Amino acid sequence: MNTPELPPKPAYEVDFPIERVEAEHVSRREFAKFLCLVSGGMAAGTGWVAVKDRFLPPFKLTGEVRVCLTHELPVGGTHPFRLEGTKMPFILVRPSEHEWFAYEQKCTHLSCAVYYSPATDRIECPCHKGYFDVRSGKVLQGPPPRPLHRLDVVVKGVDVFVRERSQA
Amino acid sequence: MSNFREAQRQAHPSKTNTLLLGVVCVLILILIMQIWLLTAVLNVSLEGVETLKWPAFIASTLLFLSGVALLRYLPNPIRQARKAREAEAGRKSL
Ligand code: FES
Repeated sequence: MNTPELPPKPAYEVDFPIERVEAEHVSRREFAKFLCLVSGGMAAGTGWVAVKDRFLPPFKLTGEVRVCLTHELPVGGTHPFRLEGTKMPFILVRPSEHEWFAYEQKCTHLSCAVYYSPATDRIECPCHKGYFDVRSGKVLQGPPPRPLHRLDVVVKGVDVFVRERSQA
Repeated sequence: MSNFREAQRQAHPSKTNTLLLGVVCVLILILIMQIWLLTAVLNVSLEGVETLKWPAFIASTLLFLSGVALLRYLPNPIRQARKAREAEAGRKSL
């Protein structure tokens, strides 16, 4: 009895002897290795947090910068401004005649723009209802984890200046 | 040669299964701890606390290395079976 002769294997099967289902199959071994890769990524990310201040030093305001004139900002008003050397937007607020405060406009939760609401006398974040104390920048309510970054305000005559916060 | 391993394998045939699941679970736990470390250290360093970032980095690296060490214990039944078959074939051809 002679056995029927098998047709020769096509060249592609010789070159790629892996079945499609096998190629798409993720085994638990591979999954475990992938978990390990992600874990390496986490370690690298933590390392980046540790060294990033050395490569990208955080913005520090040097000296005093004039922002506006006192009569340009009425009581209860907000004056947005920018500083040279950073893309960060800031706001200057004046809750009462002699009170001036300057903050970064970026919410510490997910970076929405905050605004001062004279009606409630708070700084509010519209995104997830985060509220900050207008006099200290501290979180009053909501998801923001940290107080707003604050600058010191100095009024000299009719000029309003801001400067880096003195460590009190 | 002792046939202890062989007997063990017969008594508990799905051992590699359990082992693999155990390794995967431990790796997931390691990953969860690292995610927690990363978010925590990001938070405190944005608050201006600088003392925690290096310890967190070292801890995260150690966790990663322990994960890599665990990979050594990943059973590979397919390769083991192939090796056994090849050894068998080698013995026969002698
Ligand atoms: S972004 Fe401001 S509360 Fe979420």
